[in-house]
Amino acid sequence: MFLRGGCRRLPLLPAPRPGHRRAGSEAGAAAAPRYEVVVIGGGHAGTEAAAAAARGGACTLLLTHRIGTIGEMSCNPSFGGIGKGHLMREVDALDGLCGRLCDRSGVHYKVLNRCKGPAVWGLRAQIDRGLYKENMQKEILNTPLLTVREASVEDLLLKEPEPGRPGKCQVAGVVLGDGSTVRAGSVILTTGTFLRGMIYIGLEMHPAGRLGDQPAIGLAHTLEKLGFAVGRLKTGTPPRLAKDTIDFGGLEERAADNPPVPFSFLSEAVWIKPEDQLSCYLTRTNLKAQQIIRNNLHLNNHIRETTRGPRYCPSLESKVLRFPDREHQVWLEPEGLDSNIIYPQGMSMTLPPELQEQVVKSIPGLEKAKMLQPGYGVQYDFLDPRQLTTSLESRLVQRLFFAGQINGTTGYEEAAAQGVIAGINACLRVQGRPPFTVSRTEGYVGVLIDDLTTLGTTEPYRMFTSRVEFRMALRPDNADARLTHRGFEEAGCVSQQRYEQAVKMRAALEDGIATLKSIQFSISKWSQLLPGVPISNSRRSPVSAFEVLQYQDANMEILAKAIPEPLGKLAQWRELAERLKIEAAYEWCVVNQQQEMEEVRRDEALQLPDDLDYFAIDASLSAEVREKLAANRPQTIGAVSRIPGITPAAIVNLLRFVKTNHQKTEKLKAVPQSGKYFPGKMYSDKATSQRQISAEFSEEEARFVKTPL
Amino acid sequence: MALSVAVRAARGRWARGLSSTVPPAGGTGGGTAGGTAGGTGDTIFALSSAPGRCGVAVIRASGPGSAGLLRSLTGTPGPPPPRVLALRRIRDPRSAETLDRGLVVWFPGPNSFTGEDCAELHVHGGPAVVSGVLQALGRLPGLRPAEPGEFTRRAFAHGKLDLTAAEGLRDLIAAETEAQRRQALRQMEGDLGRLYQRWSHALTQALAHLEAYIDFSEDDNVEEEVLARVAVTVRALLQEIRGHLRDGRRGELLRGGVRAVIAGPPNVGKSSLLNLLCRRPAAIVSPSAGTTRDVLEVALDIGGYPLLLSDTAGLRRAADPVEREGVRRARERLCQADLVLAVLDATSVSPTPAALGAALAALEPPPGTPCVLVLNKADLLGGPRGSPGGAQGPPATLLSCEGSPSATPAQGPPATLLSCKTGEGLEALLELLAQQLAQLCGDPLSGWPSLTQSRHSRHLGACAAALARFGDLGDSGDLALAAEQLRLARRELGRITGHVGAEDVLDIIFRDFCVGK
Repeated sequence: MFLRGGCRRLPLLPAPRPGHRRAGSEAGAAAAPRYEVVVIGGGHAGTEAAAAAARGGACTLLLTHRIGTIGEMSCNPSFGGIGKGHLMREVDALDGLCGRLCDRSGVHYKVLNRCKGPAVWGLRAQIDRGLYKENMQKEILNTPLLTVREASVEDLLLKEPEPGRPGKCQVAGVVLGDGSTVRAGSVILTTGTFLRGMIYIGLEMHPAGRLGDQPAIGLAHTLEKLGFAVGRLKTGTPPRLAKDTIDFGGLEERAADNPPVPFSFLSEAVWIKPEDQLSCYLTRTNLKAQQIIRNNLHLNNHIRETTRGPRYCPSLESKVLRFPDREHQVWLEPEGLDSNIIYPQGMSMTLPPELQEQVVKSIPGLEKAKMLQPGYGVQYDFLDPRQLTTSLESRLVQRLFFAGQINGTTGYEEAAAQGVIAGINACLRVQGRPPFTVSRTEGYVGVLIDDLTTLGTTEPYRMFTSRVEFRMALRPDNADARLTHRGFEEAGCVSQQRYEQAVKMRAALEDGIATLKSIQFSISKWSQLLPGVPISNSRRSPVSAFEVLQYQDANMEILAKAIPEPLGKLAQWRELAERLKIEAAYEWCVVNQQQEMEEVRRDEALQLPDDLDYFAIDASLSAEVREKLAANRPQTIGAVSRIPGITPAAIVNLLRFVKTNHQKTEKLKAVPQSGKYFPGKMYSDKATSQRQISAEFSEEEARFVKTPL
Repeated sequence: MALSVAVRAARGRWARGLSSTVPPAGGTGGGTAGGTAGGTGDTIFALSSAPGRCGVAVIRASGPGSAGLLRSLTGTPGPPPPRVLALRRIRDPRSAETLDRGLVVWFPGPNSFTGEDCAELHVHGGPAVVSGVLQALGRLPGLRPAEPGEFTRRAFAHGKLDLTAAEGLRDLIAAETEAQRRQALRQMEGDLGRLYQRWSHALTQALAHLEAYIDFSEDDNVEEEVLARVAVTVRALLQEIRGHLRDGRRGELLRGGVRAVIAGPPNVGKSSLLNLLCRRPAAIVSPSAGTTRDVLEVALDIGGYPLLLSDTAGLRRAADPVEREGVRRARERLCQADLVLAVLDATSVSPTPAALGAALAALEPPPGTPCVLVLNKADLLGGPRGSPGGAQGPPATLLSCEGSPSATPAQGPPATLLSCKTGEGLEALLELLAQQLAQLCGDPLSGWPSLTQSRHSRHLGACAAALARFGDLGDSGDLALAAEQLRLARRELGRITGHVGAEDVLDIIFRDFCVGK
């Protein structure tokens, strides 16, 4: 079934022809429908990617197992959080979907870290699952240039690579479950945990990506045959509880913010009335739960198999084992306005269902709780993200992009952020325009992608503010100033309206700051004007209004009262006033970081050729350094410097080699690579460094499998 | 109270400050001949030849301030002709004191090693000369010591190194980094290295706990007490580093000489003391008050320690403009002193601690500077006051409050009786001075302070400053700002001990706290 903008049916399609599974030939492909961008997967990465590609002007096809699951929040019923809220603001600044949709679907909006400074505020909301899904489907099915089709993808159509770029072949389309083909200018893979997904409950296990869905096995085979290094990760989800069987009486209530803070720069307010919001409740596990878990480790395959794993604790079992004899927090979160389901965040479990029930009933408030669905663990394949460029294009297969959990991340927001970047770049690739990448100095999404593509990951990668060097400059409040104009000018993925709004805000901020800086008084005059703001006597007089605004007790309202002209106008624009206050508070830090930011940018501008064979080049590098470089395949000198164990001397030597041999490598790149590429064919003729990555990685994979949750 | 509206002027500055969206302004240094495309505003300098005694030492500088530093150090209006060696007198721009006569070369960018404006100073390779020049450079605005390999990095950044990809250059660079490696190893193996590592560890842990509180406290089990523990750690660390920095000047003093200033009221025998100590009539002495006008300086070796002794005009309210200028200079010199020799007339001051203290205070010695009290003209003291053994030690009355000279300085400076006329008490004074110098310089056997230490003390100073700001932020509430100070502090420390990445911080977070999905 095809669904396109407004659910219109497309004209008749060529019927799938049997026996055409390996339709690599031009004759077969000629009759197939063609799209500029094909996105596989309708999760958080896939929807953002498809929408971004379509916004950029590409004729886009989204392929999903079931249209009904588009926009499904398969785990927690919430969006955002510390670090994750930053990502959502950046997705929104690039005109992505999740922020706007959350503003129309939330039931409990809460800014975390309110008292810890605006640079680390974590915008977060409990989301009504049904509403979000509904809104997302409405959005996706009504996006111009975007077609949605229900189909499984079994294989990729491949052809000879474009010369002068890394990659042993390029993708030309996809082969669907019914054997038909769809041709594509670029393909984005966002299959989440569906690659050889395996669900664990107690000692039971069965293949599936999410309960009730089928895993993508054919595609996994193809990717493996192409030489993609594959690792295995695990994740988990808690049991679901019936709300009307929980006694909230003695539990700590967390009320929502009033007024709620919207995620999107475009939203004036969220859809729900502040007083209609639902609350969350906090309870804690006790030693009884610990006892049950410890006594039954033998019944817990997911946990038992494991010896080492993620450093953080995604499951209650790992919390209890690693931090024994103490309480562990469990947040009881509503799943929707009309939903009777409660999501107990913090108690992901893979015990057999009857034991899960015992654990649940051991917790205060849940003594009589009914378990609607047991928790379960998922193990799934991910592809080593070091095989990607920072535009999320594969280095092995040209025009093939990856986004989301398949790259080893966890979280809706991490997936959405990659989705936007992959969608933009798949579109730019088709249009023959330069890639759109975000630097570590520009955004959390830049840090996320640089970390993944440079360092890879050995545990589900999650965003933390502590990963971000320039945290004081990359704030939720200024994501639009950082990214919107770039998205508009370089990627074409931002609407005129959003662009104009961002330009207006930026100009207002500039003028506001200039005005504040131009107002200067002596300290004594200030203490007369603002008796409530204690200005340090060590300051050099005169002091500008902008400097005064840095003080904790100062804000635009107070300033405007003292100096109505010209500050009155600035203070009236509430959002502007808040942003001016933040700019003032962080000015010192941001100015101080400028030099370091420039160093990072300069290093990032020093590009390394994509096709360097680190084992062959004649540079003074140790074998260990060569291995690390080959495994991580850094794109820039900046990325090299972040690989652990690479010495400054090695960086210098590498740079010298590249600079002196640049011409030679250019010539090498220009030599066209021979060899025909068909879907499903094994490539054993090229024993390149990628093979070695693969070998090295498979060892890590063995480790992953043994890791505890 | 005019509201000068300089909206447009401020705009450029803001654009850089607001966020990272604005591309870096090329060549922020700007304005220098040859331009410094993409360079940072900083001008860096370093000793480029091997550290230690040698015939000629080469000090190299790179950056927009290179022309300026040549002007400042040679006192000429412009740099010498490009790429031509020129013999110049190299002076400390602050004191105008000649440091050495040496060769200077001026390489305007982009035709230089780094592609930026560069300058080289070829000076005599004695440690005192080299450290004198390096210190003078460090005091110039906009100049800072280079990080290891920074010249090479800059050369790469400006696309210079591939032009001279001769084999010889590789060896040169290798030698440079090898020396740095050896040098770093020597320090890292020592106590100093262990100390810095310990600090780095403590700081990283404190930061990790603060980061855990920021990233996880709302959802997970990260308790409020974490913040208090972090504050305690940081306070202790700050104290330690500050203490170390104070000690850290020992190496510098040993290299550069301890600057001691003889100060006191007029006509107490200050110039006589100088003459006595240097065993020649270096200063003019006369019975009339206010003979000395200019500052006179002699270099001495006291017990193996280098001492730069200055004689100054007697401190009093002078009517004569020349003498007034002399007093001003004396005060100025006093402020820069590492050690003060306060001379009083033993016959005109009562030897009680209170009276001596008052007399000393009248000289207004710079607070915190060690001081030795010399009670001159002991030969004029009557019988009971002078102890039978001559002026072998401080008056008995002082001993009661002083204890031994090396005892707690809080109780007042050590004092000694002296007769410049007869030379009695000189030995006691020399012993006292040697003790003071030993304290100031430390034990030279504990290792010749290497030149990189001035880099160390700069980074440690910046580290301490950031830790102090962390303390000041205290309860301001913005933990992101507070954490930023710890990050800054760690970055500075990291420039000595090596980089600590975000993953190390996460390792500690996940080890110490139960956090997760």
